[in-house]
Amino acid sequence: MRDLHKSFGGVRAVAGVSLTLEPGRIYGLIGPNGSGKTTLFNCITGAERRDSGDVVLHGRRVAGLAPHRIAQLGVGRTFQVIRVFPELTALENLLVVTTGSHAAAEARARELLAFVRLDGLAHEYAGNLSYGQQKLVEFVRMLMRDPSLVLLDEPAAGVNRTLLNELLDAVRRLRDAGKTVLLVEHDMKVVMGLCEFVFVLDHGEKIAEGPPGVVQADERVIEAYFGR
Amino acid sequence: MVGIALAVYPLFGTGYGVRAMLQLFMWVALAGSWNLISGLTGYVSFGHVAFFGAGAYAAAILIVKGGWPWALAALAGGAVASGLALLIGATCLRLKGPYFAIAMLGLNEVLRVLVSYFEGLTGGGLGLSLPTLDATVAIYYAMGAMAALVTLVAYVIVTSRFGLRLMTIREDEVAAEALGIDAFRHKIYAFLLSATGPGIVGGLFARDQGYLEPISVFPLAMTITMIVMTLFGGKGTVWGPVLGAVTLFVLQEVVWARFIYVHQLLFGAIIVVVVLFMPRGVLGLLQLKYRLPRTI
Repeated sequence: MRDLHKSFGGVRAVAGVSLTLEPGRIYGLIGPNGSGKTTLFNCITGAERRDSGDVVLHGRRVAGLAPHRIAQLGVGRTFQVIRVFPELTALENLLVVTTGSHAAAEARARELLAFVRLDGLAHEYAGNLSYGQQKLVEFVRMLMRDPSLVLLDEPAAGVNRTLLNELLDAVRRLRDAGKTVLLVEHDMKVVMGLCEFVFVLDHGEKIAEGPPGVVQADERVIEAYFGR
Repeated sequence: MVGIALAVYPLFGTGYGVRAMLQLFMWVALAGSWNLISGLTGYVSFGHVAFFGAGAYAAAILIVKGGWPWALAALAGGAVASGLALLIGATCLRLKGPYFAIAMLGLNEVLRVLVSYFEGLTGGGLGLSLPTLDATVAIYYAMGAMAALVTLVAYVIVTSRFGLRLMTIREDEVAAEALGIDAFRHKIYAFLLSATGPGIVGGLFARDQGYLEPISVFPLAMTITMIVMTLFGGKGTVWGPVLGAVTLFVLQEVVWARFIYVHQLLFGAIIVVVVLFMPRGVLGLLQLKYRLPRTI
């Protein structure tokens, strides 16, 4: 991602951010509220049009494509606020993703639900599931297409300890399977424990990057979070 | 059983009965068609009667000016309606839900004015008379076939992954796109399907009535009736529009026969009750409670 810009009216939400992500690693994207993290996600996935700059995936330029094309090219995401399809069952939530035959899709969907121990609730309406369960449905639904780049927007928010550990394990397994993971997270324990490399945004600009321990001690980062 | 009973009904039924059933079939087909776009994708079409009217006029003109047989003319009405849907959908389906609803309302008004304006072709405000022909029984069967066909199409769609994807647009279009679902293309397909039925039905209606005028085939009230029937029975379900059409049609006929002045009032009251107390409709409510299969 090179020199990405996005403004809303007079507000520069993302101002010239460049990130390089390698396969098989987990990256963190942190910064105070309103620093442009979610906007950056939206620009990568095409949910919002960037003003300028480039997003390149495996040597292919994806910036400017429609969101569904970018998803088809291997970018999966979850949302800050859960976006399951409430009036579809958990299983149907996964089945809507267009991959292969119906039988193959159903087999994969059941496998993924079992992976997060929701196989018993496959025929329950997603809207009737608990918050944490919906979060898991959203997570495995995104995996249906087997994306190569996974964007997670606050995966830990509102999830209890047990569930969180399962989720974090699942993320590590994605990494081990060679996928690139970029996550936005406010819970520093999660970021420090999971991410190998962290980018810090403030006012739409990248102010620091590096391994979590190094970034945590960076003066500009401390200043951005706590003020002078 | 029901099918056989309906198939032999014209042999025994009274003239009034056959006409009433013909109208009921028409409402089943119209409500079912509206359900394909609005019930499934959540894009509420407030001008769906535009396709009915366009089909009616197209068929009538072909019969009057071209001497086409009515069955063929009605099919051509369906083709005209789907062509119109493609044209309108290509622009309006890019709009967000509420704006789409308003745009469709506008489309209907524009069509009505256009039809009034081109007097040479349509007869304008004076209307267009078709050559006399008694084809009530044949049209009864044609309408019945349309009602069955629209319901069959709904069944095939709702029980397929394509249907589930249409529902994701209703549930959360942003999430659908993020999963790689081409929402626009799906909406266009659903819209085309939802416009074709009313086009054909409009053509049959034109032949059955024998006389058309702009206000008789482009009334907003007809769109409202399609909506109310579908909402009452259960939007996004296979049998919801059928249940809604039968219930409300029977109610309307019975009540209309007894109390001419209160039937509008009752109809309005039903809308309020449905919207307030069971926004999912009868089948939607049952589906959520008892987790009925999507085949219902």
